[in-house]
This record gives sequence, structure tokens and C-alpha cells, in this order.
Amino acid sequence: MGSRVKIQSGYLGKAAIEVKAGANRDTVKSLLEANKEAGIVALTGLDMAKKIGLMYHMCTNGVIVTIKTEIPKKNPKIATISDLIPGAQFHEREAADLFGVIFEGHPNPARLVLPDDWPENLYPLRKDAKIDEALANAETAPRQTEAVQAESEGDIVNIIIGPQHPALLEPEKFSVKVEGETVKQVEPRIGYVHRGIEKAAEQRTYLQDVYLVERICGICNSCHAACFVETVEKILGTEVPLRAQYLRTIILELNRLHSHMLLLGHAGLEIGYETLFQYMWRDREPVMDLTEQLTGNRVISSAMTVGGIRRDLQETDIPKVKTQITTLKKKMDFYYKLFENEPSFKIRTQNVGVLSKEDALKLSVVGPVARASGIAIDVRKDEPYEAYGEIPFNLITRDEGDSWARLMVRLDEVVESINIIDYALDHMPSGPFRVKVPRVVVAGEAINHVEAPRGELFYYVKSQGTAYPERVKVRTPTFANIPAFINIAEGGNIADVPPSFVSLDPCFSCTDR
Amino acid sequence: MVKELLAHLFKKPATSKYPFVKAEVPEGFRGKQVYDPDLCISCGLCSRDCPAKAIEMVEVDGKRSPLFHLDLCIFCYQCAESCPRKAIKSTAFFELATTNKDSLVLKPGGPSQKGECVQQ
Ligand code: SF4
Ligand code: SF4
Repeated sequence: MGSRVKIQSGYLGKAAIEVKAGANRDTVKSLLEANKEAGIVALTGLDMAKKIGLMYHMCTNGVIVTIKTEIPKKNPKIATISDLIPGAQFHEREAADLFGVIFEGHPNPARLVLPDDWPENLYPLRKDAKIDEALANAETAPRQTEAVQAESEGDIVNIIIGPQHPALLEPEKFSVKVEGETVKQVEPRIGYVHRGIEKAAEQRTYLQDVYLVERICGICNSCHAACFVETVEKILGTEVPLRAQYLRTIILELNRLHSHMLLLGHAGLEIGYETLFQYMWRDREPVMDLTEQLTGNRVISSAMTVGGIRRDLQETDIPKVKTQITTLKKKMDFYYKLFENEPSFKIRTQNVGVLSKEDALKLSVVGPVARASGIAIDVRKDEPYEAYGEIPFNLITRDEGDSWARLMVRLDEVVESINIIDYALDHMPSGPFRVKVPRVVVAGEAINHVEAPRGELFYYVKSQGTAYPERVKVRTPTFANIPAFINIAEGGNIADVPPSFVSLDPCFSCTDR
Repeated sequence: MVKELLAHLFKKPATSKYPFVKAEVPEGFRGKQVYDPDLCISCGLCSRDCPAKAIEMVEVDGKRSPLFHLDLCIFCYQCAESCPRKAIKSTAFFELATTNKDSLVLKPGGPSQKGECVQQ
């Protein structure tokens, strides 16, 4: 590639590689040749006045490498990479929606996050997008209705699941083509709860954005806040006190506990095993109470802030937390027995929705879904953040790749989380729990990733040296995992669609943002 | 499983009898705000930092004071953190559901600002 590339090591991950627009494919190719297990984490678009910047954040051996390129705004065309990495399809469709980039050769360049009746040629994340004007006209513009409904072609019946469907708790749509009971093809459509949070973040200060990004997802709220503040701290060059790192770790693990237990209960509900659902959620309640005790709210913890944590841990709280998590750990024995022995549970999950390791790698899946297919990735181990580098814990993997393995990985992780909290409480360093940081963030950009309950959560923040960020990009774990659902469902039984779907632990308010 | 089922026959229900038995919240819970006009120096920092734009600065008796729109508030307590005089404090009061939106406006100097809970 010679003179066309510029490499900056230690920037935007392990290294940033700047290439000409035409060379993005070659760079991705050589990356894949160097490491077959490389995948895509995110594709960040950036409005640069006359140009559009594109950043391919690639993941290889647990570290992130960013490939940067620029294309003219007037003619925003670039070759697709989704034939090289199928996992890139969704990322490219999103960038096409929000920035108007045309990916030449994309197999399915349909809209992904924007509604079907969104005006043509209005790309919301471009700085010059006249959204107010479009909204004012929207009232009078003719409404497009979604024409496709259940229909059949010969033996193939097209079933529409969603956006409102009893088996799905959030709005998303799957057009499922079935032949008899067998699923032949799945076409997902997301974006029903797209709130434009990335755009909204540009209009608020860094301080306010912590609370905004926290609300991207109710369940993994602390992870979003932590990931965002860590990214900003990277730009600022802030050293967070050790005590704050330990406290953040505790909050993040409480977050994981309640999220995993929520999912395990929910899985019980989907497979028609409601007793499991009720038991699990009953036992999850103390975790919510602990979160409330430590942060002031059961769900949205609002604990993180740039420079540390907002509340110190009281000595009097420690025994209470300890008793609760010890009881919880004992209760897990019951669930182990249940998951391993209960026939009605096993019959619905074992050998159902199998995702092979090869497919999982190709689709760049993350989190428990990847770990249940035998891929040993976990940001807490790969690039330890907060106190994870100092706390011993096991990386859980299973090889089966079926729904059962995905649920078991989470059950194992519940126990690991309890151990992490226990260790962190015993080894809590003393000292300050936050440092003062300036309101105005120096110019710069940074990326960061954390292990949210559903997998790797990725943030990119760019600052222009003001109190407002220039760009905030969020790649949530479910966004990376949805393509896996297509793979899992196709060839399976239609009745297995809800349980195997739930075993991915999808979260759509995350995905849509 | 059967053992667990039988054990439950003799246990109390796991649910609580709310609203007949009042739910207890821990100390430090982020509930409805109280604001002390005597401490306030009208700096407007609370209003500037509020992520939900729930605080409006209004003139009361010639003094600029914060007016809280609790229907917008997300109970993050950034306002209390930003206030240089600690004039904003939280209470354990969380039963804010109402059919009258006006009752969610905390006017400076109004009865709801004295700390007791007023439900219209
Ligand atoms: S608690 Fe948060 S949202 Fe509510 S008024 Fe204070 S700063 Fe605004
Ligand atoms: S920040 Fe405090 S002192 Fe300043 S206006 Fe608000 S309540 Fe008053």
C-alpha cells in the first residue's frame, strides 16, 4: 500500500491507520489475512464540513484498530466491506441512513434505523441537516404505510412478527418466511424506538450527556454512563482515583447481576416455564435494593461522573451488601440444578438455535453470545478497565453454541459477578472518590469499550475544545448480535423463534438509540 | 423443584402489601426535591446544568429563584451537586403520580417547598 497509508500507533485504540477512500477494502483484507478472527466493532461517520469521515473500528485479538478514511460529501461513495465481513452489513446500512454514505456493492442497502417515511436526502447526523424544517413539513407530507403483511408464495408463508407482538417486549419487526414449521428466511427491521440520542448528545454539555447516555438503555444504564465518562476522561487525560475505580466496578457488576437475572427469568417466560421467571425475579429483587442503597435509585443509578463516582460507599453499607450477595450465591445452586436437570427446560433450549464458532466469528458477535459459541472474548480481560485488572475472575466460555449454553454462560457469570463484588469490597482502597475536572474538554477524540451485560459496548467521542461534544457514537452490543439471530433462526422451527431470540438477550432501545 | 414448591406453601408471599404498607426507601434516595430560598444566591447554576431542562429561573419578590418542573425532572440530582450553597436537597418522597400536572410544578416559596408533601 506504500505511501497511501499513515499509521499512528496508540491512537483510537491500538493504532489508527489513515488510508485513501479506495484503499479501505485492501486494508480490511490485509487485516483479515493477518488474523482470520478479526471482526468489525463499529463504523463511525463524522461530518467534516466538505467531507465525510468514516472510521472502521476493527477488532483483532481483543484490541481495536481504527481504519480512517474520508470521502467527499458531494459524492459520498465508497466500496462496501460487507462481503469481506458479513457483520459489517448493519453498520454500513446505519451509516447510509444517518450520513447518506453510499456503499457500492452492498447486498441490501435498505433503510435500517430511520422510518420509511423519513424524507429522502435528509441525513440527520450531518451538521447541516435541516431537521426542524422537515419535521414541520412532516405533518402535511403523505404518509407511507407499510404494505407488506402476511402473504404466501406457494408453500412459503411470510409471517410478520412485530413491531407489536406478544412474544416481543420491544418494538422490532421480523419478516419470517416459513415452509410448514421450518423457518426459511428472516428479515429484521429495527429503528422503531430510534430517539436520535447521538444527535441529542451533540446539543448538551458533557456533564448533561452522562445522564442522557445513561438513558439509552434502562437495564445496562451504568455501563453506558461508565463507557462515556471513560472516553471523556481519555480525552482529558484524567487519572481516576483508585477508590472510584473499585466503586465503579461494584456498580457495574450489580448492573450485570440484575441484567443477567432479568434475562434468565425472561427466558423462563418465553419457553413457557413461568415458575422459573417468578423465582428468578424474586431473587433479583435484593440486587435492585442494593443498587438503590448504594446509588439512590433502583434502576437508573446516575452514579458515574467524569472524574470519578458521585457517591462514596458508606462503611455501614458493606455488611448489608455482603449478606445479600452471599444469600444470592447460595440460591444459585438451586438454579444450577434446575438448568441442568429440568427436562422441560432442556428440551426447549438444548440443541436449539445453534450458532457455530465459525459463524459467530464471521458475524462479529459479542458478549455471552460469542462466549457460548466458544469464543473467549471479554473486554474485562482483553483490555481491563476500572479495577478489573486487579480482581481475579474467570472468563466463562462454553462450546455448545445453543440457547442452553447462552443461558448457562450467564448463570456462571452471575456467580463470577458476585465474587467480583465480594473481592472489591474486601480490597477497597481508601482515598478520594472523585477528582475535579474542567467543564470544557480539550480538543481531541477517543474510543473506549466496556463489557456490558450483553457484550462489548463501544463509544467514540470527539471534542472540538468546547463544553459540547462534536460527535458521540454509540455501538451497542445488541446491534452486533442481531445478524446472529438470522443465522440462528433460519432452518429452525418457528416455535423456537421466541426462545432462541431471547437467549441472545436483545435490547432494542439500546440498538436503536 | 418439588422441594422448593412445597417449601413455598408455608412461606409468606415475596411481594409486599404496598400501598397498604408503606414502602421504605434507603437513606440518600433521590426523591422529590426541597429547596431552601434562604440559602439560594440566585446563581442559576442548577438551571444551567439540569440535563432535562426542568429548572426555570423566575423572579419571586425581586429575587431570581429556581422553579422545578417535576414532570420533566429525571431525578439525577445534578442540580443539588452543582448548587454552590447546598440549597437543594432530596427527600424520600417518591409518590409523585398525579392527575393534575400543575401539582408537579414546585414554585419557589410555595407550600410544597417547605419539605412536607402536598398532594392536590
Ligand atoms: S434532579 Fe436532575 S433533572 Fe431534576 S431538576 Fe435536578 S438536575 Fe434537573
Ligand atoms: S444553584 Fe443553588 S444557589 Fe444557585 S440558583 Fe440554584 S438553588 Fe440557588
